[in-house]
Amino acid sequence: MGGRTLRALAPLVAIVVVAVLPLLVTDRFLLKVFTFAGINALVVTGLALLFGHAGQVSLGHAAFVGIGAYTCAFCTVRLGWPWPLAFAASGVLAALGGLVLALPSLRLKGYYLAMATLGFGLLMSLAFTEAEPLTGGVDGFRGIPFPSLGPLEVHDAASLYWLVWATVGIALVAAFNLTSMRPGRAMRALHGSEPGAQACGVDVVGVKVRTFVVSALLAGLAGALYASVVGFISPSVFTFGASITFLAMAVVGGTNSLAGPLVAAVVLTLVQYLDALIPGIPRETAQLLQSYREDIYGLAIILVVVFAPGGLAGMWRRRGKGGDAA
Amino acid sequence: MIKRFGGLTAVDGVSFDVFEGTIKALIGPNGAGKSTLFNALTGFDKPDRGSVLFEGAELVGRRPRDAVRAGVARTFQNTQLFNEMTAGENVMVGAQAHQRRGFSAAMLRLPAAASEERKAREEAGRLLRLIGIEEWIDVPAADLPAGIRRLVEIARALATGPRLLLLDEPAAGLNATESHELVQTLFRVRDAGITVVVVEHDMGLVMDVSDEIVVLDRGRKIAEGPPRMIQKDPVVIAAYLGEGADEDV
Repeated sequence: MGGRTLRALAPLVAIVVVAVLPLLVTDRFLLKVFTFAGINALVVTGLALLFGHAGQVSLGHAAFVGIGAYTCAFCTVRLGWPWPLAFAASGVLAALGGLVLALPSLRLKGYYLAMATLGFGLLMSLAFTEAEPLTGGVDGFRGIPFPSLGPLEVHDAASLYWLVWATVGIALVAAFNLTSMRPGRAMRALHGSEPGAQACGVDVVGVKVRTFVVSALLAGLAGALYASVVGFISPSVFTFGASITFLAMAVVGGTNSLAGPLVAAVVLTLVQYLDALIPGIPRETAQLLQSYREDIYGLAIILVVVFAPGGLAGMWRRRGKGGDAA
Repeated sequence: MIKRFGGLTAVDGVSFDVFEGTIKALIGPNGAGKSTLFNALTGFDKPDRGSVLFEGAELVGRRPRDAVRAGVARTFQNTQLFNEMTAGENVMVGAQAHQRRGFSAAMLRLPAAASEERKAREEAGRLLRLIGIEEWIDVPAADLPAGIRRLVEIARALATGPRLLLLDEPAAGLNATESHELVQTLFRVRDAGITVVVVEHDMGLVMDVSDEIVVLDRGRKIAEGPPRMIQKDPVVIAAYLGEGADEDV
């Protein structure tokens, strides 16, 4: 009974807390940290579908974030497109990138798929650096405008935060609809037993490709938001390390869940800015956490896979069953 | 009345017909080629030569989902349930064969997609009731007893709406009561107009349910006929039933 009430109330409480946060937090840097948490949550929601539900590993998702970020920068700065159009183009181009990668490689399984996504990530990382006329090379891309709709520009910290989290909210609703209906069952089915899914007439390759495209789309939109919020992007942001960070959030968050990865994305983002959150923490501790970030996330992936394969969500489900399961 | 409805010529030269609305058993020692035949029938495996005609359409060389669409469903010797999903959800995956709405309709929760969902859920409930295991509907497949797992897999196969149902050792892991219920279930399935081909080692069950039996041995068909004929066939007794025959038959 208590569990059920909590289940029904948790999303409401989360929405209220997320919505009123800018009214309580006046520190602009801290608000930016929470905005980054939302951007990461958007990427991780896509991975929650791809990895958490369909069981497909991507070691190259930062590349899709990068495609979105550079598309948004190029379309607004060089082409002078209105922001909403550039934002949409970012999602579309990232989704196309996902399609191009998914079509050949999703016929691969397990390690081979992981290697293909890894290779794609490294290749795109190289492309961001080398395609200087388009991307600005190692120096990066400067002067990306804030999000705007006609004359209305979103530039203060609180509005940017709200824009990002509103996008996260829409993405979560769409992802929830997917997972609770036919496509979500197909994803979980091919994760559970591919022969079983085939015997049910599930279009195994089709479902994988579509899931991949949706997750790339969300990553692309997140990249566009990142570029618009920060105003500057460079290849050092969209690295293999960033891909590992996203994957760690999805793995720690757990399988067959959207809430788990969401919580993990927020918490693991905040951990990186521990010194901003908790003023008492020594600078060295914070720097240590920063510099070993990717190692810590790699370790987190290993620990979760070995000791708690269901991640946070799996632990929560087991706890919920508790007494009657034993 | 009787319509020629399926035929198979596999690489080992096995060929037989299955008539609509009957239950046919495939028996034979391990390695006789029974599962290979099933895989060839359902697009999981390609025979080097030969053809599978189902209602006049060729099934060889097509994908598993084409077989499902053509109306052929199967279960596996090692059950292939989706362990992290409930029994009901497992059956709903089978019912998805009739759903037309995909990713975009679901993301927007369009009314058409929502009504398909409702239908799939009702269909899952109906099939679990038909098989007599509706009380397990909300239990994760990982927590189901072995016997119930077999039955859920049958319900899932039925949810695809087959006209031909292939069961690979459905009685393995069932106790006597469950076996008896399986026989009743198979009759109910056949009476619903669905043709059944069953691979099974439980001779009692095979003799009870089948209208016709095909006996395979080392990839060749050594006998075919109604149960009473097979029981008396000297070739079968010699090659397959062996000394243990007296107890079983």
